[in-house]
Amino acid sequence: MASQSLQKTFRFAVPPRMRLASTLLALTIFASIPSLCAEDAPVRYEASHDSMGTLFTIVAYGRDARFLAEVVNQAFDEIDSLDAQMSNYKPASELSRINRDAAREAVLVEPKLFQLIADSIRGSEEMGGAFDITVGPLMKTWGFFRGQGRVPTAQELSRVMKHVGYQHVQLDPEKRTIRFDVAGLELDLGGIAKGYAVDRAADILRSNGVTIALVSSGTSSIYALGAPPGERAWRVTLRDPFHAHKAGDVAYLKNYSFSASGNYERFFTLGGKTYSHIMDPRTGRPVENVLSTAVLAPRGVESDILSKFYVLGVEGTRRYLATHPQVSVLFYTPTGEPGGFARTFLQSPSFNLPTGSVAEFVR
Amino acid sequence: MEKDQDVTRREFLKTAATAAAVSALPAVGAPAIIASPSPSDAVGYGIIGTGTEGCTLLKFLTTIPEGRCLATCDIYPPNLKKGVETIGSNPQTYDEYHRLLDRKDIDSVLIATPLNLHAQMVVDALAAGKHVFVEKTMFFKEEEEKQIRDAAAAHPHQVLQIGLQRRSSVLYNVAMEMIRKGALGKITFVRANWHRNSDWRRPVPDPKFERLINWRMYREYSGGLMAELASHQIDVANWAIGAEPVSVIGTGGIDYWKDGRETCDNVQVIFEYPGGQKLVFTSILSNAHYGFQEQIMGDHGTLEITIGKGMYFREKVAKATGGAKENWWAGATVSDEATQKGIPIFPERVSSDEGFMDREMRLGRRWLASMGIYEYEEPHDPWWSELKNYFASIRENKPVAAPLEIGVADARGVIYGNRAVDTGQKVFWPKKQA
Repeated sequence: MASQSLQKTFRFAVPPRMRLASTLLALTIFASIPSLCAEDAPVRYEASHDSMGTLFTIVAYGRDARFLAEVVNQAFDEIDSLDAQMSNYKPASELSRINRDAAREAVLVEPKLFQLIADSIRGSEEMGGAFDITVGPLMKTWGFFRGQGRVPTAQELSRVMKHVGYQHVQLDPEKRTIRFDVAGLELDLGGIAKGYAVDRAADILRSNGVTIALVSSGTSSIYALGAPPGERAWRVTLRDPFHAHKAGDVAYLKNYSFSASGNYERFFTLGGKTYSHIMDPRTGRPVENVLSTAVLAPRGVESDILSKFYVLGVEGTRRYLATHPQVSVLFYTPTGEPGGFARTFLQSPSFNLPTGSVAEFVR
Repeated sequence: MEKDQDVTRREFLKTAATAAAVSALPAVGAPAIIASPSPSDAVGYGIIGTGTEGCTLLKFLTTIPEGRCLATCDIYPPNLKKGVETIGSNPQTYDEYHRLLDRKDIDSVLIATPLNLHAQMVVDALAAGKHVFVEKTMFFKEEEEKQIRDAAAAHPHQVLQIGLQRRSSVLYNVAMEMIRKGALGKITFVRANWHRNSDWRRPVPDPKFERLINWRMYREYSGGLMAELASHQIDVANWAIGAEPVSVIGTGGIDYWKDGRETCDNVQVIFEYPGGQKLVFTSILSNAHYGFQEQIMGDHGTLEITIGKGMYFREKVAKATGGAKENWWAGATVSDEATQKGIPIFPERVSSDEGFMDREMRLGRRWLASMGIYEYEEPHDPWWSELKNYFASIRENKPVAAPLEIGVADARGVIYGNRAVDTGQKVFWPKKQA
C-alpha cells in the first residue's frame, strides 16, 4: 500500500538558482468562477501536488466536492506512480533500470511505458530528430544537470554525440523489449512525461464521470477537459518571453492540450551570450533565435513532442504542419531590440478541429 | 491424479532451474551471464483481485520475465477490465476464483483481495497445488492462523510469500545488518507513523458499489489503518527487535472523517516486546506532514527509514565497551555531522570478490554522495524485488523473503492492536506452547 513515492529524491541535486528559474510562472491560468447561487450549481475544486519535480494542479467542477477530491487524489496517485516508473533521478525506477541494462541485454518493458517510448521514437522520426529522448548526456555536457553552464569543446561534443540519437534505441514490439546498440545511451522522458501524466490524469477524471477540468503540469503542459460553467472554453494566458508577470497571447481550450517551451525556463549566460537549455539534438548545440513556442494538439503527449517545434524553427515547422491537420503553433522570436519579440502563428492549411473541441490563440 | 502430475511438473521445473543455475556458474573471473527465461520456462500465474493493489502488482509483473499471466479474477467488472489493460496481454478472466484455481496450467496465484477473503483463498490455492503470494495482512481473524498453518504444512513444497515488500528491500536489509552489527547499540524504542491528509476513500461511481470499492472502511472486511498501514511497520519493528510483541495498548476513533465509515480514522497504539522495547505506532488521516517512516532507536544511534531512503544518526554519548570488538565504534570519531545531519544508509554491499573497478566506482559514488551531489538509493523498487524474489523461490528454491512465520507475527500484531483500540484494554499475546 506504500503508494506515495518519495519526492525530491534527486540523483543530481539541482541548485536552487536553476530550480527557481524553472519554476517561474511560465503562464498563468485564469478560470472564471461562476456565481454559485443556484442550488445545483457545480462546485469548483482545486488542488495541487508535487511530482516529477514540478507542481501539478487540477481544477475540476462537479456536484460534490468530496467526490471531486477523491477523484483528484486518484489522479495524483497515478501521477506519482508514473514518476516512480519514469524518473531518471530515481535509481529504482523502471526507466533507470532500462538505462542501466539495455546496452547489455534486451529489457522487458511495461506495456504503457513501451508504447510511450515507441511514440517518442516515432515523434523523433517524424520531426527529423528535433525531438529526441536520448538527449540527456548532451544536457550534462552543457552543465544543465550540474547547474554550472559551460560551453563544451568541439572534441567533447563529438564524443558525447556518439551516445546520443534515438536511432540507437531498438524496439522489439513482439517481445516488448528495448535494447541500445551503443553503450552510454540514456533515455530521458523529461520532455514528454509531463504531457503523458496530464493525459493519464485527464483519463482518470473522465472515467469517473468528471466532464469539466483543467490539468496543469508546472504550467507548461496542460489539458483542458470540457469548459468551465457558462464559458465556451478554458482560458490560458501565455507569459511574455521576457517578463514572467506580463501577459502574452491567450489560448482558449476545450478537450484539447497545450504545451509550451521557452528559453526562460533554464539558461545560462557566459561572455555576454545566453545559452538556452533547449538543445538541438542534431547539432548538439542550444537552439538560438527562438524565445518560446506554444503548441495546441488533441493529446498532451503529442503537444509535448511538438513543443520541440522550438528546435525546428518557424520554417521547419511550416513544412511539418502540412501533414498534421490538428495542430496550432505560436512562436515568439526575438527582434533584436531589448524586450522585443515577434509573433508567428502557424496552422496546417487543412486545419481540422475535432467536434466538440476548441483550440485558439487570441492576441 | 491430475494434481500429482501437476506437482511433479512443478518439481521438475524447480529442479531444472536449479540444475541450470548450477551449470551456469561461471569460471573464476568470467562474467556471469544469466539469460532471461524464454516464455515457455516462465511460471504461469493467475491473480485474484485486480483493484488498486492488484493492478500495482500487475504493472510490476509486466517487467518480470520469470512469470507469465494466464488468468485474472475479480468480481467487479471495471476492475477486471483494468487488470487486463494493465497486463497488456490476453489473460483468461474469471469472476469466481475457484475456476481460476481449477486451471492445471497455472502454477502460482497472487492474492490481492479484501482482507476478509485472504485466509480462505490461501487455503484453497495451496490445496489446489499452487504457489501462493498473498498481500499483507496475511489473515483477518485469529482463528485463521491455524487454517493457514495446516494448509501450509500439508503442502510443504509450495511457496507461500506474504506481500511485506520491505523484506525484499536492499535498503531495509542493510539497515537490519547495521542493527545486528551494533550500529544502534541496544534497541529500546521504535516510533512508526503513517500519516495522510485525505479521507482514504476511493471514488464510487454508484452508491451500490460503496462497500465493494471502499471495503477498507467497513469492519466486515477490513482491519482499517492497523491492517493496511501498521502491518508494514509492525513487521519492521519485529524484524529490528528480533521478536514479536507480548502486549499492546491503544486508542483511536472516528473523529475527523465522520462519513459513515466503521474503521478508525486515527489510531495510536503502543506494543511492548519481551525485552521491554516499545513500538509506538500512530496513523492519522488529517495531516500528512510526517508521511510514513520508522525511527528505530538504540542507545548508540537512530535509524530513520522509509521506502527509498534511510538515515543513520549516531548518539553523541560514546560508551565504554569493555573491550568488546564492535566494528562500528573502533577508532570512530563522533562528529556533529553524524549526530545532527545523519549519514545516509547506502544500500550497497561489499562483495568478497569485488573487482578493482567495482570498488573504485563504489567509493566514487560514496564520495559524490558525501558532497550532496549524488543521492544513493536502492536499485529496484521493493515491490518489484518482492515479486522477483517470489519467482526465484519458485524456480530456484531461493528462501522466501517474507514467509509464513513473519506473516503470522505481523497479522497477530494487527489483530491484537485493533482489539486494544476497540476495547481500551491491554491485550496480551497468548502464552507460547512449551
